[in-house]
Amino acid sequence: MTEARIAELVDRAFDYRGYVTLRRSDGSELVGFVYDRSAAHLDLLDESATRRTRIPLAEIADIAFTGEDAARKSQEIWERRKGKPEPRETPAHGDWADPGKVLVLVALEHELRSVARALGAARRGSVVRGRLSGGEVVALAVGVGGGARRAVAEEHPRLVMSCGYSGGLDPVLRPGDLVLATTVRGAGGDALAAPESPRLAAAAALDGLRFLQGGLVCATSAAASPEDKRALARDGALAVDMESYLVAQAAGEAGVPWLALRAIVDPLDSSLPPFAREARPDYFWPALRYAFSEPRAALRLVRLGRDASRAGAALEAALRRLVPALAAAEAHR
Amino acid sequence: MAIPAGQMMAVGRYLLKQRLARRERYPLVLMLEPLFRCNLSCTGCGKIQYPVQLLRRQLSVAECVSASDECGAPIVSVAGGEPLLHPQIADIARALVDRRRFVYLCTNAILLERKLDEFEPSKYLSFSVHMDGPRAEHDHSVCREGVYDVAVKAIRAALDRGFRVTTNSTLFEGSDPERMRHFFDDMMELGVEGMMVSPGYSYEKAPDQEHFLRRERSHQLFARMLGSPKRSWSFNQSPLFLQFLMGKRDFECTPWGNPTYNIFGWQRPCYLLQDGYAKSFRELMEETDWPSYGRKSGNPRCQDCMVHCGFEPSAVRAAFESPQAMAGTVASMVTGRL
Repeated sequence: MTEARIAELVDRAFDYRGYVTLRRSDGSELVGFVYDRSAAHLDLLDESATRRTRIPLAEIADIAFTGEDAARKSQEIWERRKGKPEPRETPAHGDWADPGKVLVLVALEHELRSVARALGAARRGSVVRGRLSGGEVVALAVGVGGGARRAVAEEHPRLVMSCGYSGGLDPVLRPGDLVLATTVRGAGGDALAAPESPRLAAAAALDGLRFLQGGLVCATSAAASPEDKRALARDGALAVDMESYLVAQAAGEAGVPWLALRAIVDPLDSSLPPFAREARPDYFWPALRYAFSEPRAALRLVRLGRDASRAGAALEAALRRLVPALAAAEAHR
Repeated sequence: MAIPAGQMMAVGRYLLKQRLARRERYPLVLMLEPLFRCNLSCTGCGKIQYPVQLLRRQLSVAECVSASDECGAPIVSVAGGEPLLHPQIADIARALVDRRRFVYLCTNAILLERKLDEFEPSKYLSFSVHMDGPRAEHDHSVCREGVYDVAVKAIRAALDRGFRVTTNSTLFEGSDPERMRHFFDDMMELGVEGMMVSPGYSYEKAPDQEHFLRRERSHQLFARMLGSPKRSWSFNQSPLFLQFLMGKRDFECTPWGNPTYNIFGWQRPCYLLQDGYAKSFRELMEETDWPSYGRKSGNPRCQDCMVHCGFEPSAVRAAFESPQAMAGTVASMVTGRL
């Protein structure tokens, strides 16, 4: 495509009040709203309205006008009602009533750090409260016991998300990869299927991140060794945690849709050190003791820390996308 | 004139400081758009046509405060969208009031009465209620029956609780000057502190493109509407700007006078035109191609514009820079004539 044609498309995209799909010369695609442009680049806000990307014009191969044009829609609405105001009892345009909060439940306080970073909010003990793109988010560390039911009853959320670290059961999963649960299976063997609507919206929002969708199995104790994990992986589950089943059960009982999103820390072939096999409020001293317990322990500890950081960063990136996307999905209902 | 003396003094001090610092370009009013979503869809509005994800997006309290600090303008007009849809709008207003900014919170007043508890009356806070004329004209303009009555009820409730309330009227082709004069009487009787009037800007994205006023028609309409003004009328605007609307004075636009900040950044060049965004206020002021805007520039999008966000700063600036203009302002304030 010629430079002149690209320049013309960029001007049109800048004027367009809808999303465009931009194809780069390397074949990759980006969807977003073009809010600025110059002779050299174009500025795009992604579909979750949170991430800005500057793209040199030289990298643009094509622009397609794939989203609905809000200006055209406004024109059509106006033409339909031309001369006639809406009746007094018509609900307010857009029905912008607060849709309610998203409740993120994690097991441990240190898992809250990723949520706090994603929200740009401070962690206060076991609670993080904040907003993402207008949507209220409350994150609580409820442990691996039965805290989920109480949290759901007290917070009255519109969506519950089980979030946190996980062990990988599929050999393709590496530290920092994400698993979006299609089902969660409890220790007793019964499985709960994730509600489809939020899961599909979530999957669309996570597009571009390293994630898989599939089964999640919940164990009553940490699956610490490769042997433990292989045993749990027999029915095709992708990952293991200790709390998502209870979260899904609590949400289901309250009639609230739920999601389970986990980030892999320990892949299938790795073992968790003994101190990490049980839930603790603080891992610092046990980790320090472990580091001096045997010759290669310090190295394993460094590796575990690195993998946990990757998982935390992946959760943070996912939450930044998920909450606005789920708010938008709600608005479209 | 309905602007309280304390506010006039504060703005006067600010203008004097700019003059002494020999600043060529400085802001008078920050147009803060914390969100674009609205609970109305008005015929002449070009501000809300965005995908729903962007309509859901809003500035945080910290972002609003930071924009105000960066800009430094003594007045902040909180616009949108409908600002009362922002869940933290009271926190935003409070934070700006704490910084001694004179806040005009623009609203269609649909949510005003039920949100009043969240606000505290202050000499720094005024609700600027969107009222485009008498009941029939207003409801037609906002495309919804009953909104005028809701707004009047909310204005009464706000006044009863000690809030400052002004009205803000945008006029279009077809406005009846005589009916508007009655409307001014009604608003003053209601007890509002002052009124603001302006012709609507011909937003490219607004659904109704037929009823925007051209410059000559604006002069005719405002000359008839504001000629022989009643002593009881109070306008929350510079008399020179009203004279400009009536065709008695001419000003060039001051697009940097009311800089606009929203979810995209600092909007170039003004509240009405969207030619891109600057990352910082400084970048906006220093890197915008200002000579390309205003009537003299020949820019076709500026030829019929007489909107207060571009010309009120020109009028205020003229009053401070020219003794004759200052004398005209004082004479108008004393005599009530325009």
